[in-house]
Amino acid sequence: MAGQAAVRIRRAIALVNSVADEAGDEEITPTEIAEAIRDCLELTEVDETSNVRRYLGEALDAVSDGMPADFVAMTLYAALGALREGASN
Amino acid sequence: MGSPHLVHALPGGAQLVTESMPERHSTSVVFMFGGGSRLEDDRLAGVSHFIEHLFFKGTTRRPSPKEIADAVEGVGGFINASTDKELTAYWTRVPSEHMALGLDVLFDIVTNSRLDPADIERERMVILEELRMYQDQPQDFVQNLFEELIWPDHPLGRDIAGTEDSVSKLTRDDILEFADAHYRLPNLVIGAAGALEDEDILAAVKSGLSLRSDLESDQPVLAPAPLEGPRVLVRRRDTEQAHICLGARAFSYLHPDRHAFDLFNTVLGEGMSSRLFLNIRERLGLAYDVHSFSQKHRDTGYLGVYIGVDPKKAAEAVNAVMAELRTLSETEVAPDDLARAKEFTKGRLRLELETTNGVAFWLTYQQLLLGQIKTIDEELALVDDVTAADVMRVAQEVLSGPIQMSVIGPFARDSAFRLAIGA
Repeated sequence: MAGQAAVRIRRAIALVNSVADEAGDEEITPTEIAEAIRDCLELTEVDETSNVRRYLGEALDAVSDGMPADFVAMTLYAALGALREGASN
Repeated sequence: MGSPHLVHALPGGAQLVTESMPERHSTSVVFMFGGGSRLEDDRLAGVSHFIEHLFFKGTTRRPSPKEIADAVEGVGGFINASTDKELTAYWTRVPSEHMALGLDVLFDIVTNSRLDPADIERERMVILEELRMYQDQPQDFVQNLFEELIWPDHPLGRDIAGTEDSVSKLTRDDILEFADAHYRLPNLVIGAAGALEDEDILAAVKSGLSLRSDLESDQPVLAPAPLEGPRVLVRRRDTEQAHICLGARAFSYLHPDRHAFDLFNTVLGEGMSSRLFLNIRERLGLAYDVHSFSQKHRDTGYLGVYIGVDPKKAAEAVNAVMAELRTLSETEVAPDDLARAKEFTKGRLRLELETTNGVAFWLTYQQLLLGQIKTIDEELALVDDVTAADVMRVAQEVLSGPIQMSVIGPFARDSAFRLAIGA
């Protein structure tokens, strides 16, 4: 699997999950989640596998639109899965 | 070896198929009528299923459900019925010496039903509850939604039981009119299997035939219109799990590649050694329940995949399923995998035909829908003839059609799902 992109997507998922699970003392803001997703989008790796950039874009839109955290997490997991499928081809 | 079954043309256009299984203690008899929910327009949606329920409410000779049940259960037998999209079946399985009784009860319910107005109202409430119950079972309801996508605006895409609106409005006249039009001898195939003498059952059947033998006209059976493209239907519910059905139109039961299609389905998602189970559940841990299924009708069919998954993993699971489908359309199945799928398919068929009931249904279904009967050996040989190249070609053909997907779960929008199937 593409290394750096997977690491950054997992980090974004962890942030979203901590909101979804209402875990941790520190409040995570949508801005922080959006920043984490933008970090992923900065990598050229995400263009090497089809749909990864599009899922990340959808996730970013979902954050901007105030969609539930679970939905954002699902879209990020889909990006991660697409990256994995791309690596296995 | 000759065919173990006999086919008799009966007066009025009905047919009788028998198979003697002298070593058994039971005889099963099936009355199968061509028709089913596919022949219903929107207004009459659910009437075939409604009639099937009402036929057990009482006849002129056995005026209550209890008397119908007692007649068969009193000798240890079973009686039941089912409505499908292209047929309705009534069946009984009785100790062989009571074959005449079982046959008499079946004739009684399909010819002498009272269709009492009070029974109709009571049964209407039961069916409405049945429809609501399905809506509360997302793993079933998602398949209904999927069929709506596969056959939009067509009776095949509708629940066999109809809609709450149509069932609420069906009148006794509607019911009588539909039953009179479809419960006729040319639409009937009777199948019997077990410890029976062919001449005995032939004589008993002939003496019971009293349905009308004329047909008003050839019933127009409309083919579903072509699909316009991939579609996603998300029904938002706060469920703990996401329930997803995805798939595409596929082959009819008359298609020459139907056996290759069945093997494609088996390799993909039937059983715990299938690709979906091993890869999506065991290797990736994405879903608790993932399997494929198919439906075949006279001129169409579909391949579907069901996924029960953590909502967060829903789109990822869909992507993984799509990857498995693509693999099957791009790479031939390994010889060992194909051999395993063939043994699975053949074994299931042989197990189905262990009972007199299984044989009676098998014969009747073939005679009614296919117009000819293949022996089990002929059917098994057709499965054996399928090659890995056939399976890949079938997978390519199925996947060349637009993917349809229904989803029930806590989802605010469908973008991730649309992306997964290219909609």
